[in-house]
Amino acid sequence: MDFEHLANALTLTNLALALFGVVAGTIIGSIPGLSATMAVAVLVPITFSMAPASALILLGAIYTGAIYGGAYSAILLNTPGTPSAIGTTFDGYPMAKRGDGDLAVAIACYASVFGGMIGALALLLLAPPLSSVALAFGPVEYLWLSIFGLSLITSLSTGNVLKGLAGGAFGLLLSCVGVAEISADIRLTFGSTTMIGGIEVVGALIGLYCIPVLIDLVATPERHLKVEEGGRAVRFREGAIIAWRSRYNLLRSSIIGTLIGILPGAGGSVAGLVAYSEAKRTARPKQKFGEGEPDGVMATEAANNATVGGGFIPTLVLGIPGTPPDAVILGALLVQGVRTGPTLFEGGGSIVYTFIYGLFIATILMLPTGLLIGRYAYKTIVTIPKTILVPSVGFMTIIGTFAIRNSISDVVIMIVLGTVGWVLSRFGFAASPIVLGLILGPIAEQGFVQAWIIGDATGNLAGMFFGRPISLAIIAFTILSLVYPVIQGRRAKKLLEMQAGSND
Amino acid sequence: MTESSSRSGRKDIGTLIVASLFIGLGLVTLYDVTTYSDRDSVVFPSFVAYALIFCSVLVVIASWLRPNQHNGFGSGDWWRRLLLVATMLAGCFVMPLIGFLPATVIAFAGGLVAARHEGWDARSAIIFAASGVFIMAGFYTLFRFALGVPLP
Repeated sequence: MDFEHLANALTLTNLALALFGVVAGTIIGSIPGLSATMAVAVLVPITFSMAPASALILLGAIYTGAIYGGAYSAILLNTPGTPSAIGTTFDGYPMAKRGDGDLAVAIACYASVFGGMIGALALLLLAPPLSSVALAFGPVEYLWLSIFGLSLITSLSTGNVLKGLAGGAFGLLLSCVGVAEISADIRLTFGSTTMIGGIEVVGALIGLYCIPVLIDLVATPERHLKVEEGGRAVRFREGAIIAWRSRYNLLRSSIIGTLIGILPGAGGSVAGLVAYSEAKRTARPKQKFGEGEPDGVMATEAANNATVGGGFIPTLVLGIPGTPPDAVILGALLVQGVRTGPTLFEGGGSIVYTFIYGLFIATILMLPTGLLIGRYAYKTIVTIPKTILVPSVGFMTIIGTFAIRNSISDVVIMIVLGTVGWVLSRFGFAASPIVLGLILGPIAEQGFVQAWIIGDATGNLAGMFFGRPISLAIIAFTILSLVYPVIQGRRAKKLLEMQAGSND
Repeated sequence: MTESSSRSGRKDIGTLIVASLFIGLGLVTLYDVTTYSDRDSVVFPSFVAYALIFCSVLVVIASWLRPNQHNGFGSGDWWRRLLLVATMLAGCFVMPLIGFLPATVIAFAGGLVAARHEGWDARSAIIFAASGVFIMAGFYTLFRFALGVPLP
């Protein structure tokens, strides 16, 4: 690791590749249905003729850009462009609705850059020791991690925890539809061939978040987003000040994102939701999460971009992809003849360190490009007439969902699920717990069944589920996340009563 | 009786129906798991079904005791909502027969009509139709040729 690698990363070719990757990734990521995985997969063939380090820089830049690009449609259309941006919709869209969409886009960009830098820093300095953490995670740890994720329902269901829990269970049930992963039984299809492929998560996300917005938009003549008079400049400075004020939130969310990115299979969506929940848990009393709180946008965006660097740690050190796009990148490296593993940092160190510096450069390039693209995305969405916006977004949801598995059934499920989601939302059943259940269901089931089989075979079921140190730590965090909001609520209530008493 | 007292006495029927449907879904799941051949496939959905039934029963009780008067479909044109969803679904169902672009034209046209509140004249119809053709052709080209998606 020396300046030679930095110089290699700074060649004109690598700089151009990083810039192209960030721009292409941002644009692809902003289209609902086109995830970061697809952005990387689509552009992989371009890299086959490149030097391995340049190929890695391009793929890393596309990945980074796509994760950030998902924030645009999350903020401006309430539709996460990528699953990583689910949490961005919670406060980003309310900000856009009240006329602060440009500010939300700016702070999302600052947070993404910060998170991306922290993730890349972890990759540079801590890759070998941190990858051993990922190896210590067995099926039961994944089970408890998913249960920890499900405990976030209590903080995500604003207003009605019971409805949130019911929604979460509904989401878990939806995740069971189709062919069972472990035993291949066909479940809950009731003879329908449409349902046999199961419910595709990205299509479900598009349906649950986007279709209700479209249904609401057509019903009334009101504008889709509030427009400020006079066409003010993009709020770079204001966004930077807000981001600086929330630096601890940014740092915490980035660390959460990096650590969750290291865990194979968890990904940016889980990281974003965990970071959002933590930001909400530690919020000041006047902060109103879910109603357009900038800290909510920053927490999600910092965490999901930190998973990029975090996910590369097990990918490069162990050959185990941390996130789905890493799996595609791993495949591209194998095509190039690069063998990942601990020796890559020794024998092929030049490639790895050039790539890591390239990732830093791509992340830095995301600042000007992201703010510039964000500015035009915001202006376009705000000024486009609703008459053309609604059918265009509807068309994008259809083509985007179809493109995931080339399946018309997925599109039908997306529309039906979206309509059901709209009805449910009208009676207080929010989409987020359903989505959480849908995402975490397969991880929980696989972890549970595998842990059960291992525990049963070793004759120590209790020890398998409750006797491992990492599991116990996650259980403790889960209990804390369930109990802490109750304690905090009581404390706040007591404080209010005391204040009222002293005023009397 | 004042308006507020009549409102407070009104039940949140929508929530009760949704929660009842969830309970029904849980019961159907418990029936469905009896048809699986492998025990590993049964445990998780059964557990989730019980959780869904339990939570939904609590929702019914809570909603019965403390109904939320703000729940409901709200104002807005129903025909526009229905037109949007119906044309999107219709587009999907005819897609295997007539191909992707003609099918999505149905969905796009439905969305245009549903979203237009200002009324139609020849000029606006031509402008929006032309914009629609341009957008659909652009995305079709991107997905079909640049990204290699095998659109029907």
